[in-house]
Amino acid sequence: MRALVIDDSRVMRRIVSGILEDLGYEVQQAGHGREGLDVMDGGWVPDLACVDWNMPVMDGLQFVSAVRSNPAWRQLTIMMVTSESEHGQIVRALAAGAHEYMIKPFTADAFRDKLALLGMLPQEAVL
Amino acid sequence: MTELQDTGLRRRADDAAPSITDLIDEETVQSIAQEAWSALVGEDEFLVPLPGDLPEDAVSSWVDVRGPWNGTVVITTGRSTAEQLSRELLKEHAPPVLDEEDIEDGLGELANVVGGNVKAVLPGPSALGLPVVGDAPVAGPDTCRVDLLWRGQSLTISVQGTAGALLDQ
Repeated sequence: MRALVIDDSRVMRRIVSGILEDLGYEVQQAGHGREGLDVMDGGWVPDLACVDWNMPVMDGLQFVSAVRSNPAWRQLTIMMVTSESEHGQIVRALAAGAHEYMIKPFTADAFRDKLALLGMLPQEAVL
Repeated sequence: MTELQDTGLRRRADDAAPSITDLIDEETVQSIAQEAWSALVGEDEFLVPLPGDLPEDAVSSWVDVRGPWNGTVVITTGRSTAEQLSRELLKEHAPPVLDEEDIEDGLGELANVVGGNVKAVLPGPSALGLPVVGDAPVAGPDTCRVDLLWRGQSLTISVQGTAGALLDQ
């Protein structure tokens, strides 16, 4: 399975990518939403996108809206991974088309639990 | 963390708006920071509420909060402490040598997480800025400040900005 990690923090991209790689994901990274769309436009379409909210150039909500406006990407599961924890923000993200919401700070176990909830644990991680 | 309990009392239009200091105090900030440290740095990593001396090469990271309250959440520590923190954030995924971007990025991410959770304590919608790393922000006076030790090394977290009642949105 493939995952795209979109965050303007290189450290946070490495943390999230590390968790996903340990679970068996093939991972690509992007520093903001536009870069994430460029990766997908280039033909590398992930099964899962983990997206920060506050980023320069294109924020996470704009990325979610852009993805949902393209029927070719409707299979993509999107999880917001962000320190934005206001109820209103969560509702906006889910209304725009995100499937789940992970609030920072989180542990690797909590991250894995969210993926399990989404049915997005790779087969090798379930066994 | 200070628990906000529903007392059954409701605010009327002519009631005074709450003050930032009613919502954010040292205990709240320390609790938010400890939660961030436990989750991101390590579950056995503790922030001890004791003052220490910041080294001369101290570095700060901060995020702005804009909404009913305008202010800045700032983390300040020594450069070597910032480097250790970034290494702990990355754990086994840390490269052998951390470059400057890694160090600043790690401290910035901690400010982002602590700032985001400070923002969550405020009523109504607020916007969180992107983290900035540098010598020190140009911000208002400390609304509250906690002096902490992490692994015996000094670290401060301050919430700076306008004092007084929150603005009605």
